[in-house]
Amino acid sequence: MKIIKLNDKNIIDETIKILNQGGLLVFPSDTVYGLLVDAQNEEAVKKLVAFKNRPPGKPISVFVDWDLLYDLVLVSEKQKDLLKNILPGPFTIVLKSKRKVCYLLESEKKTLGVRIPDYQPVNTLIKKIKKPVTATSANLSGKHPHYSIDSLLKQLPESKKRLIDLIIDAGKLPRNKPSTVVDLAEKKIRIIRHGDIVFSQVNKYISKSPTETKKIAAFVLKKISEKNSFVKPLIFIIEGEMGVGKTIFVKGIGECLGIDNIISPSFVIMYEYEIEKSKVKIQKSKVRKFIHLDLYNVEEKEEFDYLKIEDYLAPGNLLAIEWGEKVGEIFDMLKKKGKIIYIRMRHKDEKSRIIEVKS
Amino acid sequence: MILAIDTSCDETAAAIVSGRRVLSNVIYSQVLLHKKWGGVVPSIAKRAHEERIDWVIDETINKLKAKSQKLKIDYIAVTVGPGLAPALEIGIRKAKDLARNLNKKIIPVNHLEGHIYSPFVQNSKGNPKIDFSFPYLVLTVSGGHTSLVVFGDHLKYKVIGETIDDAAGEALDKAAKLLGLGYPGGPVIERLAKEVGNYDFYHFPRPMVSGDNLNFSFSGLKTSFYYFLKKMNGEQKIKKIRELSSSFQQAVFDTLIIKTEKAIKKTGINNLALVGGVSANLYLRKLFRQLAEKYQGQVLFPSFKYLTGDNAAMIGVVASFKAKKNLFVSDIKDLDRMPRMIL
Repeated sequence: MKIIKLNDKNIIDETIKILNQGGLLVFPSDTVYGLLVDAQNEEAVKKLVAFKNRPPGKPISVFVDWDLLYDLVLVSEKQKDLLKNILPGPFTIVLKSKRKVCYLLESEKKTLGVRIPDYQPVNTLIKKIKKPVTATSANLSGKHPHYSIDSLLKQLPESKKRLIDLIIDAGKLPRNKPSTVVDLAEKKIRIIRHGDIVFSQVNKYISKSPTETKKIAAFVLKKISEKNSFVKPLIFIIEGEMGVGKTIFVKGIGECLGIDNIISPSFVIMYEYEIEKSKVKIQKSKVRKFIHLDLYNVEEKEEFDYLKIEDYLAPGNLLAIEWGEKVGEIFDMLKKKGKIIYIRMRHKDEKSRIIEVKS
Repeated sequence: MILAIDTSCDETAAAIVSGRRVLSNVIYSQVLLHKKWGGVVPSIAKRAHEERIDWVIDETINKLKAKSQKLKIDYIAVTVGPGLAPALEIGIRKAKDLARNLNKKIIPVNHLEGHIYSPFVQNSKGNPKIDFSFPYLVLTVSGGHTSLVVFGDHLKYKVIGETIDDAAGEALDKAAKLLGLGYPGGPVIERLAKEVGNYDFYHFPRPMVSGDNLNFSFSGLKTSFYYFLKKMNGEQKIKKIRELSSSFQQAVFDTLIIKTEKAIKKTGINNLALVGGVSANLYLRKLFRQLAEKYQGQVLFPSFKYLTGDNAAMIGVVASFKAKKNLFVSDIKDLDRMPRMIL
């Protein structure tokens, strides 16, 4: 068993070598540490199943890229739209298998779970090896997943450790839950496992906690920034009743932009922040500001004039406007000068929220 | 003498101080203007700042002269943050004009420093005569702020806890709004709660009180209050408005007390100060006195009622300590507002 640090420049080549030899390795991801074997090598898959003590018939998902995804599973045009919307991301998508991977990975209904993670090392690996690789969490069946190699090795008996050929160590991973497993093989979307981000249909997310609301916000911002050139400033218009979590959503956006001290601006109406260490790419421009507005206490049209919102509508800036219902008077101006993303938040029940995104 | 200006949010305020002594003080309260709107309305706040600032400063100078004191301004002090950007701008622009015209230096002050010094502000005769006996544990509670700060020495602050979402005063205001009460909601809730003996009828959650984290969060409490009210009809709400007000206030105050007690244990500091708008609440003061007694410490509140709210006197007093350390703005044109300024 060999351990290589993630920052070693040879990791992809080493990984490919091991996979092609039918080896088993531990690899980091956007969620937890995963166990990788060549998904088309039956011997290797058997080794993996034995390692995990996995009951037969329980499917195992695979890492893919877009080409492999279309090659391995059946995707309708409608499903394609949905997938384009959420991938790459922390989701495992279950679809009808085209029976091109080892049968042991498929479910009894002949479906296969595919996963395009939002994680560069895995994506680079798949692009280079050009075949599917298993994406199951690195733990024994029924045990909790691992966020560090130390914690994994502590759980494993010597006999298991001997089965691992290589470990890629990325240190401590952020504590993201294992991916959300979504079954698209049936008519109605079904969530098989709840990860951090859960949706019920395109652009409609379900949050069960403030942490999840923040993760959904960060995810939405990331997806939008992938498609948006930031030629116009991004404007999040957030609607929803008191206590629904609007400020929490904005905190999620803020954290993604490297701002961790966001508080409710209800009292002063507006706070501005400098964007310095953003995790999403924003076009370099002279001013890069994040403006957080709360229109809760605003009643009149002319009040907007004094906030000088127009001055903030410059490329590279981001605005989040709570109580967006009240934005009416300046809506045309915002629409003309910015790219608007609507967020509608609703109470589902006391603990959970429905978050709809429209752009 | 220092001429101080504060336009961080609600009030247009100016004062002239000498050391800790306030020689003249004017606050053009906008609460009446805002009452109609159920909140701080930025246009009105800003327009009022713009319209009133000259008048407020003239009035401050006139009041000083009326006491047959000679005007001799050494420095200009101004609040640069935190607060509403366009409002802060008015005060800063005025300070720059004055500094240029009078050829004086500017002392920038953080609004929160002002609140922290508010128990030490004296009237023109130099009363009250409390001495500093550092360190203090200062809880600032207002509509826009909630923080626990170790005030270790002059101009030395360490924030050990602060709100991660809503401020305590904001939570009280929003609860008042949900109950159909006016703005500002804090004082109305205080009065209604007192009528039922500040008793806790409904036991709303005390957010984030477990563990040794000293940060505050009031958004969850707001949500649970929202759900509680949703189950009641209009008539029930009106009938139980005192009980609801009292229970909500108790949940907020309990959280403040629990966190402050944790901070006492963590830091070993038993000299307390309670400052900011919500420190005007007499029931919260009582709870604070009891807490200080339990740990045999002293407890301070803003030395005069007007110092609980926003004012420029406290800004001037901070500035007088900064002047001793030559903490001036080196180039006036670089001075800019800092809406999310931290201590």
